[in-house]
Amino acid sequence: MKRLLVLILSVLAAASVLTSGAHAARKLKVVATIPDLKSLTEAVGGDLVEVESLTRGTQNFHEAEVRPSMMLKLRRADAVVENGLGLDAWADVAIDASNNASIVRGGRGRIDISRNVEVLEVPSTRVDRSMGDVHPQGNPHFSLDPGLAPVITQNIADGLARVTPENRAAFEQNRQAFLARLETEMVKWTKAMEPVKGAKVVVFHPVYVYFLTRFGLVQAATLEDRPGIPPSPQHLVTVIRQMKEEKIKAILVEPWNDVKLANRVAEEAGAKALVMASAVGAVKGADNYIAAIDYNVGMLSKALR
Amino acid sequence: MLRLIAVVVSVVALLAPAVARAQDAEALRRELDALKRQQEQYQKAIESLSERLKRLESQPAPAPAPPAPAAPVAQAPGGPGGQMTPLSPMDVARPREPFSLYQQRGAGQLLFDIGVAGDFVGNLTQRNVEKANAGTFGARENRFFPREIELSLFGQIDPYARAEVRIESGEDEPGAGTGVTLAEAYLQLLTLPYGTQAKLGQMRNRFGWSNVVHEHDLPWVDRPDVYRAFLGEEGLTEKGVEATWVPDFLPFYLEVLGGVFNGDNETAFGLGRLRAPLATGRVVAFFELTDTMGLQVGTSVANGVTSDRLQSTLLGYDVKFKYRPEGWLHPLLTLGSEGIYSMREAPGDASEKHRFGWYGWAELQPWRRWAFGARYDGTQYPGMAGYQWAIEPYLTFLPSEFLRFRAAYKHTERTHRDGFDANGGSGRVVDELLFQATFILGAHPAHRF
Repeated sequence: MKRLLVLILSVLAAASVLTSGAHAARKLKVVATIPDLKSLTEAVGGDLVEVESLTRGTQNFHEAEVRPSMMLKLRRADAVVENGLGLDAWADVAIDASNNASIVRGGRGRIDISRNVEVLEVPSTRVDRSMGDVHPQGNPHFSLDPGLAPVITQNIADGLARVTPENRAAFEQNRQAFLARLETEMVKWTKAMEPVKGAKVVVFHPVYVYFLTRFGLVQAATLEDRPGIPPSPQHLVTVIRQMKEEKIKAILVEPWNDVKLANRVAEEAGAKALVMASAVGAVKGADNYIAAIDYNVGMLSKALR
Repeated sequence: MLRLIAVVVSVVALLAPAVARAQDAEALRRELDALKRQQEQYQKAIESLSERLKRLESQPAPAPAPPAPAAPVAQAPGGPGGQMTPLSPMDVARPREPFSLYQQRGAGQLLFDIGVAGDFVGNLTQRNVEKANAGTFGARENRFFPREIELSLFGQIDPYARAEVRIESGEDEPGAGTGVTLAEAYLQLLTLPYGTQAKLGQMRNRFGWSNVVHEHDLPWVDRPDVYRAFLGEEGLTEKGVEATWVPDFLPFYLEVLGGVFNGDNETAFGLGRLRAPLATGRVVAFFELTDTMGLQVGTSVANGVTSDRLQSTLLGYDVKFKYRPEGWLHPLLTLGSEGIYSMREAPGDASEKHRFGWYGWAELQPWRRWAFGARYDGTQYPGMAGYQWAIEPYLTFLPSEFLRFRAAYKHTERTHRDGFDANGGSGRVVDELLFQATFILGAHPAHRF
């Protein structure tokens, strides 16, 4: 009997050691709602995390289709990183249906990166749907502003550390290394954008306001009548006239916008339509966070010269 | 001794002002340092605010001013301060795009979402069909009426559960007032262990994929004939509890569901007692074929007792395929099919009546605002002999995500006139023009695949 007991205890002890070893080796499974956040979470999490994105850079994040495959990814996730401010509100449906208690709203694995972000374009008047795709909480397209990376990565590091407190130091170390790299790039980007500082651009949809503000450029007009509402011929004529008068050289377009239309307007106004990396993976060569910003800086600094 | 005391007192008296002066100077120095630090802080704050102001000023106004309701205007050059010109008739005719308006949260704000959906339908058909009340909207032929005006309230109860309440009203009979009913009211426990969730209350049952869809969200004007024949005009809505489990070890999405309900549905069950409850089950799998194509396959079962205390079992299948090209905001092609096989004990003998019905559907949406498609229905009747088939081509126009118009033509043929011959009319061959106008006001959650 004694021998049996010893045997059982030995087996249990061995199993416990093996399990804890396996647990230690297991990477934290994180799901990001958009690819920009996947890239930033990979930068903060390093080897300790395995990150998947629910959407691709070539998709319009406002209107992602809630697929059951999203729910499967979320079901297995230890944490979910969301943009917030209404950009990825659809994720709530997928998260609620994923049957994963740790990532529902209020769960420790729910990470909202908009916390402490200085939000631009917060409406100061009453908003309603006659005004188009107005975000009552402000413009949610802030993830590709390199100046906000410290706040965003801080939110990510805090969130990941909530799930695995023992890795807090490692996350912070990764974060600092990433921010140092970003700082080096920022010097290069600022230098590249210096000659075009103050230049005006037209955007198809107000996606780039944070990026433009960061580098001292001005969003002079939008091709859309109102956010999310396609342009009328009358509005386009007005924009073309404005572009000619103010010598605006570029229209910034997202890959899923009507690029033909933007090209036509640009041609009329003597400008160029630039398909920007509106997200990580939106265009070739913008495979990660730094590459996406690098792409946009390169594109704009050349076109506006 | 006295001399010594006098010397000490004199020295103290002489030194005291000097010490006091030194102390004063020290205090003043500290104060000065504090002031300097404070000034530096203020300087930094001013610089930061100036920088912020500069950034804000270099951008257009944060949000466009609300346009006058009667005459929306386009933005003129020079930003919001520019001159506004009235819209041309072309602009007025031009439909608007979808957008999302999410609830702003904060002190004094509601902590849940509110939405209103309005669904109006119309029907034009032959006189004999009207007499027999044999059209799609039984007894409401050749009428235009509010079918479903729904008030939805939904949100988180606490970190562990959410709730949804839907109250609806609509015209059930021509000319009659519109009564208010509770369409759904349930709570959902979100944080149960092992990948499970539970839902309890009154709910649209997850039998097939279209049964849970409300009338205003259906991709057609009317619910498929097979559902109307086997589960009644509004489908299966029951009171009870259901639990779901999503395993995390499979390479594809699978959801397993089981439920226990009263069994109030009079068309299929009707006993309405938990002594002999309605038990439901469903397994649904999703396969992401490519980044742009998805396939969902499901099977459902419902077993209960009729008001005559006879066993009734429904078996169902459902398939849905969607192709959404890269970068598109809507699917280009949607294909779907559902079927129900009914096994019901016949009154008076021990035999079972086996009946079957199904539909197949295809929809193309080459443009964001326009979609067209067709549905083929074929179904037997659960309680009598005969078969009916129907074909229903339709056209949908979506000025925005929240406003939709639909027109359809439906041709139905029945093998028997019996049961569709009230008031001397006939519903054997029915031709109908169907119309639908739907709006959504306020919050509306995103839809699943």
